[in-house]
Amino acid sequence: MKSYLITFRSITYGQRAEQTLRALGKKSRLRRTPRWMEDRGCGYALEVTTGEVSELLAVLRQQQIPWRKVWLARPGGEMEELSNVLP
Amino acid sequence: MYYLDHGATSFPKPEQVTRAVLRAMEACANPGRGSHPPAELAAEGVFSCRCAAGELFSCLPEQVVFTQNCTQGLNIAIRTLVRPGDRVVISGFEHNAVTRPLHGLGARITVAGRRLFDPADTLRQFRNALNRGAKAAVFTHVSNVFGYVLPVEEMAAECRRRRIPFVIDAAQSAGVLPIDAKALGADFIAMPGHKGLLGPMGTGILICNRLPKPLIMGGTGSESERQEMPDLLPDRAEAGTLNVPGILGLEAGLRRIQEVGPERIKAREQALLSGFASVLRDAGMEVFAGKNQVGALSFRPGCDCQEGAARLAGQGFALRAGLHCAPLAHRSAGTLETGTIRLSVGMDTPEEAVQALGRAVQTSLPPYKY
Repeated sequence: MKSYLITFRSITYGQRAEQTLRALGKKSRLRRTPRWMEDRGCGYALEVTTGEVSELLAVLRQQQIPWRKVWLARPGGEMEELSNVLP
Repeated sequence: MYYLDHGATSFPKPEQVTRAVLRAMEACANPGRGSHPPAELAAEGVFSCRCAAGELFSCLPEQVVFTQNCTQGLNIAIRTLVRPGDRVVISGFEHNAVTRPLHGLGARITVAGRRLFDPADTLRQFRNALNRGAKAAVFTHVSNVFGYVLPVEEMAAECRRRRIPFVIDAAQSAGVLPIDAKALGADFIAMPGHKGLLGPMGTGILICNRLPKPLIMGGTGSESERQEMPDLLPDRAEAGTLNVPGILGLEAGLRRIQEVGPERIKAREQALLSGFASVLRDAGMEVFAGKNQVGALSFRPGCDCQEGAARLAGQGFALRAGLHCAPLAHRSAGTLETGTIRLSVGMDTPEEAVQALGRAVQTSLPPYKY
């Protein structure tokens, strides 16, 4: 299991993503995107721990919930942007 | 008092609406701004209301834009679709909330369908008007003066077939008639939160099927570094702090409607209107009633309408007289010079109001002189 941060342009998209994952039995937490991650200013991010993030992203895509970026939390707290899962 | 002015605002509000407003006042901060519990609670409440509206009107939560009222939603929609000089087709029963923004923009307005309670004629005239070319169409679902239900599904289909963008004014129908935003395919559907949806005054919803042109610009709590308004829903049309107590109250109203069911509400209101029409006719009034009617009914006594409504108010009946901010509808029906007295019912209007009003009208208003 790995921890990810999925970022969204608006709180509504983040909330709908949280709701969608909850329906799948997947717990997540909506929070403000760390300032350094967000090049457009304020945004929202979903913290989620999962085995395969691409499966979750496929569900979001199916539900027409656009995300901005996906970050992987490395052991030790470092965040790595995953470019291969971008929509 | 018998409150028969639900067309202006539903009253009294359900208890759960009042409680939700109070709870928001006590526990909520600004949603989408801070990341502390009172802000998060507000954000959850706002989202929950978007979901409730989305379920009731068959759209996604982000398509639900919160406005102050139906008029604001109509202004956003009209300003998005119409440019000065554009030809716009409207029905003969539009409110000033439609005609004034169009007039202000310098649109060329074509009025189509002016016969009351005649959906076949409305549709024929509307189709003819569209055939002459139009940049947009705006039409009401239900006349706020006469309760006439326009054939909006068919009108929507005519617009879709010609790829003419269109707006539906659901001021009197939301919460009473089924509205399926997906099936209708309207570019925008505007509605108040405080009438059939039972929410507090100062609330409204604009269902957006396309990106609107913002009426006001400012903070949205998103993409703050950019100086353009975000090009996404609902943020683009929701600059500034939302009316959180109102929205949470509106959600309670929406849940109440889901609980009862719009079909049941409609059936009850139609039965009441039919009863009112009958007792008013018996009392010698000129009554505007028809098969395709919901929510509101207009009548004329043999005296000035304002004077008549004032006499009834003195006997405990809350009705509204005059032009109802819809001179076009009165012109269509031939009542512009006199106005009418309008009664409009809600889901909790008691049945005994029918006979009570009949008695009051019989004793206090002279019969209409044909």
